[in-house]
Amino acid sequence: MEGFLFWFCGILMFLGGLMMVVQRSAVVSAVWLVFSFLCTAGIFALLSAPFLAVMQVLVYAGAIMVLFLYVIMMLHGPVLEDELIPSNKALWPLIAIPPAAVVILLVGWVKGEGLRTMPDSIAADFGTAEHVAQLLLGRYLLAFELISIVLLVAIIGALAIGQRERKLPWK
Amino acid sequence: MDIILETLSKIGFMFAVIMGMVVVLIWMERKGAAFIQDRTGPNRAAILGVRLAGLVHPVADVFKLLFKEDIQPSGRHRAFYNLAPWLVMTVALSTYAVIPFGDYLTVAGRKVALVTADLNVGLLYILAVASLGTYGVVMAGWAANNKYTFLGGVRATAQMISYEINMGLALMGLVLVFSHTATPGYLREFLGTDFLSGLRLTHLVAGQGELLWGFLPKWGIVVQPLGFLLFITAVYAETNRNPFDLPEGESEIVAGYHLEYSSMKFALFFMAEYAHMVIGAALIATFYFGGYQIPWMPRPVLEAHAGMLLTLKLIAVAAVGFLFALLFLRRTQREKGKFGDLRDNEPRLGAGLWLIVALAALGGLALRPWTLGPEGASLFASLMQVGAFLAKLVFFAWLFIWVRWTLPRFRYDQLMGLGWKVMLPLGVANLVVTAVVLTIV
Repeated sequence: MEGFLFWFCGILMFLGGLMMVVQRSAVVSAVWLVFSFLCTAGIFALLSAPFLAVMQVLVYAGAIMVLFLYVIMMLHGPVLEDELIPSNKALWPLIAIPPAAVVILLVGWVKGEGLRTMPDSIAADFGTAEHVAQLLLGRYLLAFELISIVLLVAIIGALAIGQRERKLPWK
Repeated sequence: MDIILETLSKIGFMFAVIMGMVVVLIWMERKGAAFIQDRTGPNRAAILGVRLAGLVHPVADVFKLLFKEDIQPSGRHRAFYNLAPWLVMTVALSTYAVIPFGDYLTVAGRKVALVTADLNVGLLYILAVASLGTYGVVMAGWAANNKYTFLGGVRATAQMISYEINMGLALMGLVLVFSHTATPGYLREFLGTDFLSGLRLTHLVAGQGELLWGFLPKWGIVVQPLGFLLFITAVYAETNRNPFDLPEGESEIVAGYHLEYSSMKFALFFMAEYAHMVIGAALIATFYFGGYQIPWMPRPVLEAHAGMLLTLKLIAVAAVGFLFALLFLRRTQREKGKFGDLRDNEPRLGAGLWLIVALAALGGLALRPWTLGPEGASLFASLMQVGAFLAKLVFFAWLFIWVRWTLPRFRYDQLMGLGWKVMLPLGVANLVVTAVVLTIV
């Protein structure tokens, strides 16, 4: 059952990613990305990480992608078939190079190092919200706070760039 | 095999509750609106003269929507256009999986938890699924290729993002209060833990059965009054109901995101709105009003006094039944020959039905309910809990209707201002104060 679910989620995730890349409409692409995220959440759930799975849906599929969709829609408006970017078939082999490289590297890594197998037993609270919270606010506190500061700086930077032409509030 | 059967029956129960509530809510909305606006409301649809005070009207609606032509705009994105109504409905129905409607039911000596899926991240699951609800609305708005639907979709995205954050923040205070409090003694064995986890909905509700300072029910609203106000506002915004119905906004963008839908596709949006109301009501009841808990009557009390309570209940039902039968009989006298058709028989039918209810209650009394055994007491307690949950559900669903027909719609900038400038700071303050108080106490 677990094996079946793994392949089910995995293949759908891959297909979702593929469809996202080949779609010509930005809105449809975004929806395929959401689909791919949902399948990723399924994989997390299979790996005994329920908190991570729910967060994947809540943060990535539910919040960030909704924001993306909002921006895409605000920029484009209701565009359908006629206003799409024409696809250049000649570029397709070029586009295929990076993913192919990743696949080759991955296969090579798996062959060389071998897949480390999962431990036979994991702690009862592994992957729960409490466990993750203790790691984040204990062992990885410094990294966690630093990332928050980086994100804050990024937001302020985006604001500053976005308001380039207008008068900045602090000037 | 037992597990599958149990889960299926729990899913079936919840589905029946939601779908039944949808029909009742449509009726309640129309009658409630009529009551608030001093009108009569729907009273024409009838089957063989039986109108049930307008409850037959939704049946007429169903047939109307089923047989309507399904008109589709020519410039639509075919896949998204067809997918959107189903997505909205699916998301609306999946939230119920984690909402407990009782603690347990003893079946053949085994205690069956009265919740479909008791996730240890149940609260986050609700937030996650609710956040996916936006996609159906956005897809509908975008795929119809119409400027008004599109505006509705864009409005929905901005509104959902703004209020989801407030919803999560308001709930975090509640999680803090109930995390690592002691499990009530009678549930310790069943839940298999000595300390509650605030993210698990069954634990959250079990914790609310306790008493604060020995006399006040430890309901969410008692320990988190500000959190409750923030949460209920956010829930109203998430369900797209007045005063937050900007994605639909009839006076501004015709019908918003579902403008280009007709027939059963429109019906799905329509039903999803009511299903969302039922979820909203269930969430408010579960988080802030003790879910299935009856104040001052946790399971041990219910079980200890089951015989007496059941007797009192049957007497009350019999009294109410006789009273209503009498009222209906008086109406028979008063309205004799009022319509001149089958509708004249309706009061007589009502009187008969209430009489049957009253007699059934009396018959129950003849079975000597005060000698109820322990098994019967356990079953009685479970049923009382489910009943309490459903009663709270109906009340908060009515609150949705009450608010809709009382308050006017927000202007868009007011909506954003309320979400980001008022509710967000209040939510953060609530969380900080809660954390500080919990550290000190």
